[in-house]
Order: sequence, then structure tokens, then C-alpha cells
Amino acid sequence: MQDRLRETVRQILGGGGMAYFIGYAEGAEPHRVVPCFVTEESEVENLVWGPLCVQNLSKYVLRGRDLEGKVGVLVKGCDARAIVELVKQNQINREKVVVVGVPCQGQADPRKLGRVLGPDLERVSRVEDAGDEFLVTVGEESRRVAKEDVLLDKCFHCRHPLAFEYDFTLGDVVPFEIEAGEPEYAAVERLEGLPLEERRAFWQKQFGRCIRCNACREACYACYCEECIFDRKAPRWLDRPPLLPENELYHLIRAVHLAGRCIDCGECERVCPMNIPLSRLYKKVQKDVAELFDYEAGMECDSVPPLVNFELDDQGPFM
Amino acid sequence: MQRKKISKSDLGRWLDSVAEKYELVGPTKDEEVHLFGPVSSGAEMDLEYSNSLIPPKSLFFPQVEGLFAFHKRGKEIELEEAKPLEKDRVVVGIRNCDVRSLSLLDRVFLDDLEDSYYRERRDRTALIALACPTPPRSSCFCTTFGIDPLSPEGSDILLIDVGDLYLVDVVTERGQELVALGEGLFTTLTEAEEKELQPPPVDMPALDVGELKERLDALWEDGYWDKLSLPCLGCGICTYVCPTCHCFDISDVGSTSAGIRYRCWDSCMYGDFALMASGENARPSRRERMRNRYFHKFSTFPSRYGTGYACVGCARCLVHCPGGVEITEVIKDILGKEGVSDG
Repeated sequence: MQDRLRETVRQILGGGGMAYFIGYAEGAEPHRVVPCFVTEESEVENLVWGPLCVQNLSKYVLRGRDLEGKVGVLVKGCDARAIVELVKQNQINREKVVVVGVPCQGQADPRKLGRVLGPDLERVSRVEDAGDEFLVTVGEESRRVAKEDVLLDKCFHCRHPLAFEYDFTLGDVVPFEIEAGEPEYAAVERLEGLPLEERRAFWQKQFGRCIRCNACREACYACYCEECIFDRKAPRWLDRPPLLPENELYHLIRAVHLAGRCIDCGECERVCPMNIPLSRLYKKVQKDVAELFDYEAGMECDSVPPLVNFELDDQGPFM
Repeated sequence: MQRKKISKSDLGRWLDSVAEKYELVGPTKDEEVHLFGPVSSGAEMDLEYSNSLIPPKSLFFPQVEGLFAFHKRGKEIELEEAKPLEKDRVVVGIRNCDVRSLSLLDRVFLDDLEDSYYRERRDRTALIALACPTPPRSSCFCTTFGIDPLSPEGSDILLIDVGDLYLVDVVTERGQELVALGEGLFTTLTEAEEKELQPPPVDMPALDVGELKERLDALWEDGYWDKLSLPCLGCGICTYVCPTCHCFDISDVGSTSAGIRYRCWDSCMYGDFALMASGENARPSRRERMRNRYFHKFSTFPSRYGTGYACVGCARCLVHCPGGVEITEVIKDILGKEGVSDG
């Protein structure tokens, strides 16, 4: 797969007109995979593909939209939903993006891997896909880790292991079997089932820990406002200190603003240094949008996001 | 300096008696994240940790702190100064990279114009450092900046974990006072123990950064910064988790008749960091912001304060950067060579 990826990128760069291709490369330590911007053919060898390629690179496509050349990007099926949405929301010109779809067999959550391997995570030199498990090389030793134990939460309910929107595809997904885990919205429903006071206490504890580094916002493909409300100086809607009232507003404003646009890529939770379970907040928003509007973001190219749509016969039961 | 020992089972008892007299601060774990914070007993701390996410600089220079409150009474304005500390503090478990970072922050907050808030916290806080485990984390590179993870320099007491007990290096008078609170718990080492109980040497590759500043200074206009800034998302993680970053913003909350003036960490990675009232932005793109960060660490800071580099090799930024910007790779790029020497 990696060879095929490199070959495809060589072909794309060879075709000319490219600003760069965005993929993944090994970090300074092999257990970390980092985004990689390839501009020249000699750099193609840096590109890797494997179970640690967790990042959704779509935000970088948005960043590169004003460049003269085209921007190429490697997308998993889930990431492609961001590309679809960016096109639908008129943020990128699809003609200027070269999308390479990679069949994904599920990605390993670095936090879960850390829980399973402990301090040995630092000695990991290689993680390979082996069907229903990952083959993890720790030092000289090879260990088998069940996918059920370390997959990203979103992978358990993956509907598009291969992008349905692409210019190049690197092959087909090899079917594998894992226990389905709990239903998609189970964690959200557990929270919904709590009395109001307990729910509030849960989120206040989480939001109280936020250091307002803005990483969740910066990593989000859908945060493209030219002037974010949180950065506005006059009037200043939100003060900078990471105190609970400000933090609550920060997260709730983001959540509501992403309703109908969040594609559950999980970048917000991945980048959060404080381990705030943001995916659960966004999962709730997705669930509400699904129930109210029968809509799921990024799943088709031709549907209209419900919150930018206007219908005269809208029943508006909540109004 | 005096070397004693204390058994691990007695450490908690000692710290409990320290807590009777002082505010005790140490690393605790919540949601898989270690942070320094006040604890009521030694048992609340988790000393089997690698390092805290937020460096202990926050104990001396908190992310947000009120400087004073103001009230307007008629035409008079009353000011009420903030009280940085209620009680003298003892911080337990600080790593040597972070101890070094405090000596760098001292230059910023105590040279020339002294910052009274920082000064009070610094003067009223004893440091009980904890030598790093061997082997250290694979990402650590403090030795690159001449830091010895086993050195007692800069702390009042250094604890070295040697299995069932800690070696206790008592460095200062303040350290002796603290040890005195654990009467009967500390013993001196026998001659045999002196020889036997030695921490294993730290095996950590070090980069030769002797020419880093000169090499960096030559790169101001280099295209390198364009490339380096591509994966940067523009969040503030690297600066908030950095033990030497110290930029802040001052603002008021409240109304014109009463309120609080506070300061709050700022980040040079934010787009509005160098935005001026005129609308002009001195660092309009990530390229300039990224360049500024590395220049500040490796050129501006050492020139201005006559210190070493403003990086202590804790690797927090490297580990937590969501865009995968790795400071060790940046240093190697600047040095223009791949090789790792024994420094």
C-alpha cells in the first residue's frame, strides 16, 4: 500500500501544477506519525501509510486553498467527509484538490495504545495491520494487540473505510472482523440519561480543565470563519482566562456552530492535551441533527446541510 | 550538601507532617493527565510519573492571576492588591528540566524590573526535586542543554529513587528545616550504602548545540520557515506546555466602577499576538510566528539575558504538538546535520 501511495504521488507531482501533496511521515520517534508536505519527488520516500495515520489532513487543504497550484491530500474514508463538506460549504474549489483515497483497516488510538503498552509505547518501532489485530514491534519483540482494544472509537462504527469521493484510489479494503463494541450513541445516551445536575457536573468538571489552547478549534476542518467570535476584540465576547464560565461558552458555542457540519473525525479530542472527551459532546450534536433533520454531514455530495437550508413548508416543531 | 535516605513507605508520613506547616503541592493524576496542584497529604501525589503536562512554571506564573481589584467610590478609586500566597509552600516532585526553567524565568521576572507577584511565590516556595527515572523518556533531551537529571542544583532537596527507598540530598538550609520535620524518618547512609546505592547513570543522547545561535541567526530570511510552518495549526499548546515561555496579556474585567485587573498567558503562535491597535500585524503569518518562537528560544533570550538557550529539553511541545512539529528535528535542521554526538 505504501509503495502504491508513493507511486501515485510521484505520478501526481509529475503531472505538474501541484503546490504540494499532504500525507503522513514517521516522526522523530516511530510511534508518532506526523503530517508531511511533499513538494518534490525526492520527498515522496518520506510518505508512510499504516495504523498510526490518525490525523484528518483536511484542515491543511483548507489552508492551501489560495495557493496557485493544486493541493493533493491523502484521505481515509472518514476524512473524505471533510472534503465533501468543504466543497458543499463553498470553502474549497474541488478542481484544485487532488484527493487520494486510501483503504483504511482501522486506526490505532495513540492513547489506547499507550494504555495497553504502558511505557513500552516509546519503544514501538513499527505498527502493522494484521486483519483483526495490530502487529506491534516493541524493541526486538513482536506483540499482537487486538483491534478491539486500541481502535479509535469512531472506527467501530465506520461506514466508509474507503473514500467515496476521490481522484485516485489505492485499492480495496480487506474485510476484517471485530466485535462491534457498544452501539454508536451509547456513551451519549448514558449521559443523556443522567439527571440534569449530574450532567452539568460532568461537563463542568471537563470544561473546568480546559486551558483554552484553541487546539480543538484549529484542528477542526469546519472552523474557517475569517474572524472567530472568540478572537473578536471589540466587542470582546469572550475573555481569554480559562475560567469555567468562559470555557463553557467556548465549548458550547463551538458545538452549536458545528451542528450539521461535524463529521466525527475526532480531531478535537485527539489534539486536546487535557484529554477532554470532546467527541462525546460532538456525538450528541450529531445525534440531535440526525434525529431532527435526518441528516449526517459529509455522507453525500448533493445533500444540503440542514442549518443552511430554508424550506417554506418547514414544520419547525421547536419554534 | 548532605545525603540521607528515607524509605518509600515513610515518605508519605514525612510529607504529611510537612503539610501541617506548609501548603503542599505535588503532581496528581486526573483523566490520565498529570498536573501540579495543592494536595492535603503525601498519599494524594503520584510520584511514579514522567512529568506534568503543564510545567510547574504555573505555580509561580499562573495561567491567569488577578493583579489587583479596583472600586470607584465617588471620585476616589480604591485599589486592593492581590495576595499571591496564603502560606509558604513546598513543591514536591519537580523535575530538573523544570528547575532549570525557573532559573531562566527568574531572569525575566526578577532582573531589572522585579515582578512582585513572581518574587513572592518564588521566595516562599521550597523545591523538592525528584531525579528522573532511568531510562528517561525516549523524547527527553535535557542533556543537550547541559542539564543533569540527577543534579541537586536549584532545588532545596533532591530525591533519588533507588528502589525501596529514596536517597535524599539536602541542599539548602530550607531543605534542612524540611527534613527536620520528619524526625526519625531519615537516616544517614553507611559507608557500604554510599558505594552501593548509586543511581544508574543517565543514558540520553545529547546534541551539540554550541553553534545553534550562530547558525540560527543566519537563517532569518531562509525559506525553511515557510516549510516548517506548514503543519503548524496555530494553536497555543507548544507555548502553554513550555516551561520557559512566559508571554502574557493584561486586561480588566468588570465595569468602569469596579473590577479586576488580571494577567493571562498569551501565545506567540496566536494570530492576534502581534496585532496592534492600528490593525497592523507584525507577524501576519505562521511563518513569522514559527520563526519568532525558535529565535526567541535560541537567539533573542540568550542574547538579552546572557543565559543559555531558553529550552530545557523537556519535550512537552514535541510530544503534544497536534501538527507534529518536533523541536529536536528543528534543532537538527538548524544545525544542518543529522548526527547525534555524545555531547
